[in-house]
Amino acid sequence: MIKLDINKELQAATGTMTLRLNLNIESGQLITLYGPSGVGKTSTLRMISGLMQPDSGQICVEDETWFDAENKINWSPQKRKVGYVFQDYALFPHMTVLENLNFAKAKNQTNSSISDLIEIMELGQLQNRKPESLSGGQKQRVALARALVQKPKILLLDEPLAALDSAIRHKLQGFLKTVHQEFQLTTILISHDVGEIVKLADHVYQLEEGKILKQGTPETIFIEQNLSGKFKFTGEVLKIQQEEIIGIVTVRIHTDVVKVVVQHEEASKLAIGDQVLVVSKAFTPLLYKIEVSI
Amino acid sequence: MNRLNGNISRIEVSGNLTLAHVEVTPQLVLKAIVIDTPKTAAYLKVGQEVVLVFKETEVIIGTNSQTKISLQNQIPASINKIERGQLLSKLNLRTITGELNAIVSTNAVKTLCLKTGDAVVAMVKLNEVMLQAL
Repeated sequence: MIKLDINKELQAATGTMTLRLNLNIESGQLITLYGPSGVGKTSTLRMISGLMQPDSGQICVEDETWFDAENKINWSPQKRKVGYVFQDYALFPHMTVLENLNFAKAKNQTNSSISDLIEIMELGQLQNRKPESLSGGQKQRVALARALVQKPKILLLDEPLAALDSAIRHKLQGFLKTVHQEFQLTTILISHDVGEIVKLADHVYQLEEGKILKQGTPETIFIEQNLSGKFKFTGEVLKIQQEEIIGIVTVRIHTDVVKVVVQHEEASKLAIGDQVLVVSKAFTPLLYKIEVSI
Repeated sequence: MNRLNGNISRIEVSGNLTLAHVEVTPQLVLKAIVIDTPKTAAYLKVGQEVVLVFKETEVIIGTNSQTKISLQNQIPASINKIERGQLLSKLNLRTITGELNAIVSTNAVKTLCLKTGDAVVAMVKLNEVMLQAL
């Protein structure tokens, strides 16, 4: 259990804002902080990692107190067992993948944990290459592996996949899910991608101006619960075509692409990149069994 | 999408299915079937205000009251406007409970000789109607 009770005055674009959070995060959960820029999401991660000091409050992780303003406890970032991954990979450019991982190792750590990570993150082919020769998705896999070298309890992810294209993003979401489970992490993810949140998160905290506006499962936050349709997916608008009488909207749902017929007025309210809920009655779709030939 | 407001007036449950009767006006009761029961969806109760949601492309048009047909959701309407395309046409309908749209084939509009002002019956299958709790 992570107990987070923090207050911090922050300088936002609109002036001074007080970040006031009181969260209890169950161990092993993957939670998302969701909300517009400048509401204190990144500051929250920085305070958990020890890179920023709250004005008052407490941060407790299981039975350890990492920060307590009243009792003047403030563990150094090195002492806190936290892995941190940013949108920007922050790899050492002059080191190979393997050297980058070894550099993150604690003094008494063996090499076996690194080879496990290389296997899980599928970095075997890449371990002797330098970051400049890697793609964005490969670099982020290295950054994720590096964040896990010291076996952290908590993984902090600050929009780690935002700069990647959707196919790579989808693949890395799979890696995030795997490492979260494999290493029994408590993961805090900042993301703006509703599809990603619905896919990965157990619980969502929606922030506004430093406070929690709403919280719940991704379904209760993002999916209109009161609509009875059972065939319900979130997707991203890829293309809008106005035909005679009707509009055709192409929507990406995970890695699949579907087309939905809408009215012109409905199509005109949509833009490419919008998140949409695709919903139908369970009575409508047909199912075809996929025959597997052995 | 077409949206009609009403109140649940009766509920029939069998297994995991519920047939909800929704009173849109005292003269007009429409039905929807959903894969939920009062146990799994709290909104399934008599008196609950709901919106019936269905797609324009699922609306069937008849020129007079249809009795020898399995469709029981029948809404009397008059044609307010017809927008013709080569293959599809959109009918804007006026009903006692507000506007509805139907998208049907242009060929059907020709065959039925539909024109503005005509009295028609708009029909929708109960498994095409979604319920949205208010």
